[in-house]
Amino acid sequence: MTTTERDVSRASGEGLSEHVPGGRDIWFFVLFESLVFTSYFCVYLFNRTQHEQAFLLGQSHLLLWLGVLETIVLLSSSWAVARCVQHARAGRFERARREAFLTAGFGLVFLILKIVEWVRLIHMGDTFTSSQFFQYYFFLTAIHCVHLLVGFVVLGVLVYQLSGEKRRSQVTVETCATYWHSVDFFWVLIFALLYVVR
Amino acid sequence: MVENGFNKRLFGVWLILVAISLAYLGIDRAATHRGIPTASTVVTVGAICFAVVKVRIIMREFMEVRTAPRVLRLLTDFWVLLMAAAMLGVYLAGKAVA
Amino acid sequence: MKRPALLDDPKRELWLAWYATIGFYSLYTVVFFIITRTQPPGKPWYSPNQVVGWFAGRHEDLLIGFALIFILGGLSATSIALITYSIRRMTVSRAFAYSYLILYAVSAVPGFLFICVAMTVGAFRPDRNPEILRWIYDLGFLSFSGTMGVFLIGSLIWMLAILLDKNRVFPVWFGYLNLCNGLTEVVVAPSWIFHAGVFAWNGVIAWWINVAVFGLYTGAFILLLRNMILREDFGTGPMPDLPPEEGRGHMLAEFMAP
Repeated sequence: MTTTERDVSRASGEGLSEHVPGGRDIWFFVLFESLVFTSYFCVYLFNRTQHEQAFLLGQSHLLLWLGVLETIVLLSSSWAVARCVQHARAGRFERARREAFLTAGFGLVFLILKIVEWVRLIHMGDTFTSSQFFQYYFFLTAIHCVHLLVGFVVLGVLVYQLSGEKRRSQVTVETCATYWHSVDFFWVLIFALLYVVR
Repeated sequence: MVENGFNKRLFGVWLILVAISLAYLGIDRAATHRGIPTASTVVTVGAICFAVVKVRIIMREFMEVRTAPRVLRLLTDFWVLLMAAAMLGVYLAGKAVA
Repeated sequence: MKRPALLDDPKRELWLAWYATIGFYSLYTVVFFIITRTQPPGKPWYSPNQVVGWFAGRHEDLLIGFALIFILGGLSATSIALITYSIRRMTVSRAFAYSYLILYAVSAVPGFLFICVAMTVGAFRPDRNPEILRWIYDLGFLSFSGTMGVFLIGSLIWMLAILLDKNRVFPVWFGYLNLCNGLTEVVVAPSWIFHAGVFAWNGVIAWWINVAVFGLYTGAFILLLRNMILREDFGTGPMPDLPPEEGRGHMLAEFMAP
């Protein structure tokens, strides 16, 4: 099955609307996981309204600019992987590989920033068990980081796909990218809820 | 060249997303008095809405839903609305009960 | 296409195993949720006297309910066996199937039988020292909820097998659902720390949301195992698609097919 002709015509802007990017299965995962995360967010938001002052106090220990920086880093990683998909679709596999490595690089920067942030908070005495707010903070950021770590494995698969002599499927490239974008947008939501929501 | 066309679009999308992210700094200032955050329904609703808008942009542009079958476009829009409704609903209900 | 008569049907053992699986999960649900009412779990913050009350309110129910589990609990083997069979039908190494089998068979002891034994022991002598009774209560619930991490690796093995499989035994979306299920099991881990709140063994996040995901996951694989048996051609190549099927539930089965 060659989707290359379709893909090239898409690249030239004809906007074919038959192709689910990455395939239906990964979208099932993304949508399902979104519901799971949303349920966690709802639990957090409800408890927040019941203990407003305590949550505000905990939140004041966070550095908003650091959260914004982390958000921008992940957005940049999503940008890189989106470019990667387009390069791969047009047959420019070397450039696609470079974008994939760039994506992983941004992901790594995010991870380092996160760890720095956690260490800082722990030194300040804010831990998973020290207050309700930080229960949610460490839980949400940790479960997100687990998704991020899985994302590195997925990026590995992506690079592997782009490195083979007989280039493998564009669909798999898109599947990996779709997963990575989900890691990005989960963070977008988590950031808003932990750092900004009052 | 087509490639540049796509690249420009993605860059533009990235700029918009970064701009919204930076806007959070402004929103935050509205609900922080002398370094101490204060409760604010407006800020909360705003923050959630901004986040959900970003999610939709990421889905439409980065995840290529814009050129995907109609079913996926509708489904993702529905999902975004569902998440927003759930979060806002729970928050507002919680405030009412508190 | 009518199925061959029961005695001639080469799939009869598979169907037997599948119906036994349904039987097991039904038994499990009825015993845990209705008879013994050990799920949803008791509260972790109970004082010893409250625990005495908890046991007192369930005295016969615990003894009868778990006696049923001790007699019929072996049925749990059929679902593990069917899943192992499905992994063997895949193109991946048999090591996946054997790892899964061992992991789940072993994890059934702390993750399933412990609570039955603990609660039965607790109910056996109602006049036991309340502090000891609470100890038994903790042991039961912690072992049940807290050992879910063991299932995490099993889920990942199954996920990997499905994603690598070229015989399309299971649909790829179910492979990803294994990841979702595995991650919710990680979420249960904090129940070892908290006596109250959303991460306690009865908490909204550690129990309610977790069980919702697990329930959907279990429902999905029971249906998919049914599909697998319907499609099975006892070969070693890619499995054929679902045959047109008369009878209840076929629309859902086709919707879920790979």
